[in-house]
Amino acid sequence: MERPLSPFMFPTWYRFQITSLLSILHRFAGIVLAVGSILLAWWLIAVATGGDVFATTHAFIASPIGVLLLFGWSVAFFYHLCNGIRHLAWDAGYGFEIRNAYRSGYAVLAATVVLTALAWLYVLLA
Amino acid sequence: MEDSRSLSNSTALRDESVLRRVRHLGSAHDGLREWRLQRWTAIALIPLGLYFVVSMLRLATSDQTTAAAWLASPVATLLVILFVLAALAHALVGLRSVFADYVHTRARLVAAELFVRGATIIIGGMSVLAVLKVFLEK
Repeated sequence: MERPLSPFMFPTWYRFQITSLLSILHRFAGIVLAVGSILLAWWLIAVATGGDVFATTHAFIASPIGVLLLFGWSVAFFYHLCNGIRHLAWDAGYGFEIRNAYRSGYAVLAATVVLTALAWLYVLLA
Repeated sequence: MEDSRSLSNSTALRDESVLRRVRHLGSAHDGLREWRLQRWTAIALIPLGLYFVVSMLRLATSDQTTAAAWLASPVATLLVILFVLAALAHALVGLRSVFADYVHTRARLVAAELFVRGATIIIGGMSVLAVLKVFLEK
């Protein structure tokens, strides 16, 4: 028999639930952040180099694509941070009951929206 | 115990089954170190990540002089270097676990891990050098 291999378990073999959805999103956000570290390194190098390099970098970050990347990075950061704290609580043995796992999942989603909104409000108003 | 799986058809699972046979159902003994590294860096990244993001928000629209002045302070230099190192170590463990789950042939797994390790070292090295350059020039 051909056994199904990850990551092709959805939706044929597994039903989507908030718990499994948040789990795969945690990985996805982690990958986004890892790729985003290239942008971070680029910005640090631009600050160290100055001149035209910084001007080009600054223009890219301020462009629509740059802002979109930054927005995506910020959503991934706040989500991975909040859900990471949820994972650390699990590692310490707390919150395994299904009811609490669902509650903390919704709390993570709400916290992500609030933190991302606050961050971008601050940037836009500053 | 007879294992019908072909040894030449290398997969990530194969190493586990070979080790298990050799060591009589024991573990490979180096998983816990990575598990701990992932959790320690995760805990460190809560304050370091928040510090970095809050600093970035304040610098979002600033010019190079302002950014360099911030980065050149000893506290920022230290915390940004620690953030970069912790984040990259955390990313490396995480990406390796993604590969272990989704890359099913040995050659591709080794290639992916080599690529990510190399990229991590280069990105980390360049970032740390950049921060130190700003710090030392001030």
